[in-house]
Amino acid sequence: MTLLNVEDLKVTYATDDETIHAVNDVSFSIDEGVNYGLAGESGSGKSTVAEALLGLLPGNGTVERGTIEFNGTDLMSLSDAERRDILWEDIAYIPQSAMDSLDPVMSTGDQIAQAIHTHRNVTDAKARDRVKELFEIVGLDPDRIDEYPHEFSGGMRQRVTIAMALALEPDLIIADEPTTGLDVIVQDKIIDKILEIQERMDSSLLLITHEIGVIAETCDELSILYGGKVMEQGSVDNVLVNPTNPYTMGLKNSFPEIDESDDPVAIPGSPPNLSREPTACVFEDRCPFATDECGESHPELFDLPNRNHRSACHRVKEAAQLRRDAHDPETWNIPDDGDDDSDRGEVILETDDLEKHYEQSQTLLSKFRAEDPDYVKAVDGVSLSVRRSEVLGIAGESGCGKSTLGETMALLEDPTGGELSFDGESYEHYQNGNLQEFRRKAQIIFQDPFDSLNPRQTVRKIVGEPLTIHDYRTDETEQAIVETLEKVGLTPAEKFLDSYPHELSGGQRQRVAVAKALVLDPDFLICDEPASMLDVSLKVNLLNLLRGLADTEDIGIVYISHDLASLTQVSDRLAIMYLGRIIEEGDVDRVANRPSHPYTSSLLSAAPEKDPTADRARVLLEGEPPDPVDLPSGCAFAPRCPKAQESCWESEPAIDETGDETHRAACYFPDSDGEPAASAVDDPELPGSSNADSIGD
Amino acid sequence: MTKFQRFLLKRLAISVLLTLIAVSVIFVVLRLLPGSPFEALVTSGNLNQAQIDEIRAMYGLDEPMWKQYINYLGSLLTFQFGYSILRSQPVWEVLEPRLINSLILLVPALVTTAVLSSVLGMYAGWNRGSRLEKFSIVSTTLLRSTPVFITAIFFIIVFAYNLEIVPALGMRSIRATPDGYLETFVSLDFLHHYILPFTVAVLYYSGDFLLLARNGVVEKRGSEFLKLHRAKGLSEMEQLARAGRNSMLPILTYFTLRLGMIFQGLILLEVVFSWPGIGRELVLAIQQQDYPLVQAAVFIMALAVIIANLTADVLYAYFDPTVSTNGGGSA
Repeated sequence: MTLLNVEDLKVTYATDDETIHAVNDVSFSIDEGVNYGLAGESGSGKSTVAEALLGLLPGNGTVERGTIEFNGTDLMSLSDAERRDILWEDIAYIPQSAMDSLDPVMSTGDQIAQAIHTHRNVTDAKARDRVKELFEIVGLDPDRIDEYPHEFSGGMRQRVTIAMALALEPDLIIADEPTTGLDVIVQDKIIDKILEIQERMDSSLLLITHEIGVIAETCDELSILYGGKVMEQGSVDNVLVNPTNPYTMGLKNSFPEIDESDDPVAIPGSPPNLSREPTACVFEDRCPFATDECGESHPELFDLPNRNHRSACHRVKEAAQLRRDAHDPETWNIPDDGDDDSDRGEVILETDDLEKHYEQSQTLLSKFRAEDPDYVKAVDGVSLSVRRSEVLGIAGESGCGKSTLGETMALLEDPTGGELSFDGESYEHYQNGNLQEFRRKAQIIFQDPFDSLNPRQTVRKIVGEPLTIHDYRTDETEQAIVETLEKVGLTPAEKFLDSYPHELSGGQRQRVAVAKALVLDPDFLICDEPASMLDVSLKVNLLNLLRGLADTEDIGIVYISHDLASLTQVSDRLAIMYLGRIIEEGDVDRVANRPSHPYTSSLLSAAPEKDPTADRARVLLEGEPPDPVDLPSGCAFAPRCPKAQESCWESEPAIDETGDETHRAACYFPDSDGEPAASAVDDPELPGSSNADSIGD
Repeated sequence: MTKFQRFLLKRLAISVLLTLIAVSVIFVVLRLLPGSPFEALVTSGNLNQAQIDEIRAMYGLDEPMWKQYINYLGSLLTFQFGYSILRSQPVWEVLEPRLINSLILLVPALVTTAVLSSVLGMYAGWNRGSRLEKFSIVSTTLLRSTPVFITAIFFIIVFAYNLEIVPALGMRSIRATPDGYLETFVSLDFLHHYILPFTVAVLYYSGDFLLLARNGVVEKRGSEFLKLHRAKGLSEMEQLARAGRNSMLPILTYFTLRLGMIFQGLILLEVVFSWPGIGRELVLAIQQQDYPLVQAAVFIMALAVIIANLTADVLYAYFDPTVSTNGGGSA
């Protein structure tokens, strides 16, 4: 039976001088007990659809037309009060950012109880019992219901919101990017939890995400949105295995995967301008297959016979041919630079046992007793080296110290021990008066392109500022700025020079941030999660850009991320970090395909697969990383390790415990080569099955 | 010892230290002023040197500075404020009624305005862009930026002289001879005199609270947790209550600070309304260099501000669970 039926939904936002057509005639329906996915890049209108369903549109958003039928009642015709009764009782919501979607000054238990009290007439004691029960269901300690949100980690907060969504056993749960911003391992656990619970409760799920992989693993049906239009719709197996719409093909190809030999292909261009109601196909200006017909009208959804599969494309009948072409980067007008592994140059930066410990504050009493203070060992004995023209990837969960490592390498934090040498000189050399020189040669790009650019400066000023500071190429500033902007793909540069950051898209902003770092022609670049806030196609663009820079400009790059899939795409070598230490390091192919350390295996297995037909063996890690202040003796990973034995607890394995020059791991019982722990990563039975054109069709 | 107790102890120690510093500053500054309390008597030529010395000795002013300081600290910290030179009365007898008069006017005014303007401000912030919001901002900003004596005089002109609803000056009518606080304050006559200065004080303080509350709610309005509250099916007012609760901290800070500062009275207001408050008395005492009176008054004020700060810290920990009570870093 149909639970939710959305028909011809149209939502607009009124801004000061124009109307944004965010959702244009979207229709889909969800049956009872079905998991439905809404996928698309930012700006595709997917969140707007959810907000319209829940009546949570911001003040300037209006539902222009269309019907939303839930269980036979038209939600649009309800009064506010009637609608409030349905919210949570029948439709619950798991919000996007668990970090700030819980009320900071209300205990987590109270927030859940509040949802119960609003809809049910129950006693406080009963509500509390229910909250405890819910905490148990989502895997949280029921004794913690009186704690406040800030006492929980990001993943646990997301569990709290899931518990809240389950409180009244709703028929439909709408989850808006429930795992964005969480690292892979936590994401994997959360998805596993949602699926497990949802199966038990037999409710439907509407999952909104830009990660096709997550949908492929969890959903039965999906709609792919672009520019507020449904581009393709149907069962996940059909749509993702045999896409018939060029946009879906592009989106799928740009999703980086660990075990894929091909470079991901990004869709060039940027999302459409929605200030007018679309007349042509919304994807026309980015579509390599566009014909005249596409410019005339947006195609209706075409029902593919005998399959649960609809696609909005004028050339849907030629889908098989298009699909073959779509794999070729040249189709998308991207020059195929080939996989020329350029020679790696000499070592530019080297660390030896690098340490960054933060002292914990002490009580007066223990200071008086001259007790040793506790240290947070954020970086604890890291030995790495980066060569010119090489990209070194550093991966790890949140809190493993990878960002601190990056900052210490950039000398933004003072090392508390060990050695760091750059260009043959020790870091002390730079700290004693030569910091300016270091700052010119080594640059860092930060995570958030929205906060790291001064909003009151034009692009010209932002990119030109380092030149003034370092008195570099000051006689040809303008030329240097233009050159750099073009290098990072902001062409024509003149168009961007006088824009302010808020006028640029996320991808463009991050490019400006990269340009700012490159304008000084550095020898070394540290990128701290530069792509984590970007959409897939933009992410791939940035990765390709960095890869290209390393090859052509002779720069050494350290790329820090929790996203192994993008790391394997961009890096030459990969280092896996756990609690301040490097536990595995080596050439990217060997680490990704034949991991030695059990932790690496579980990280690799946590990345979702975009191919719905692939089954992946999950290695769910128990618990959270231990307290970095009070580390267990022996191997730090032992408490969570499935293979830990007595000897692991006794002494700590060194990084060269196993392996050779090109692949080292700190483990006594490494996964032996050729017998990979994560089967999905290297499953011989599915050779690049995600690219298989042969299935179906 | 729990974390909170440690935190409290630390804050208390800091407060004591601050109090000591404050009273020392008062001591030094007063003695840096030119002249002495007996200047007037000396210049009028009615006293000879021997008499002057005698009086100075009586007040202990002939002793060396450090000894005066020790005596001063000792007496102050045991709440012995000495004898007013100007009024020939024990200092506390001078200060107490005036302090009470100031507090009885200003504390209710502050509490009233804190509650009313904050609620109004939150409502205005929630309905951003509404007429109510614009009007409330303009009017309270106007009231806040006009010097209080202008507003007060304006109110006196309108309500006392033109409409003759309330008396213009004083706390009680001239003929009243009340005995004790109860008789002074519990009477219609007092209420009659009270309304006008009370209203002016309420209006004067209202702007700050209104703007603080409004800005807090405006800032919280688009936040994710309110969206989740809304999705849970909370009504508009329940959501506003959560937004308000989340923007309490600045209001709380401001309220406790103001509460501490009330012990200084509102000098201009007291002068315009001839309200026998502590502010007026202090100005007079400084003019006359009445050391004991000024010292005691400033001590009480400093103490009040310090205690208010301490209260704010403790309330913080209560109202915002994310405020860390271990003081951050080592002190």
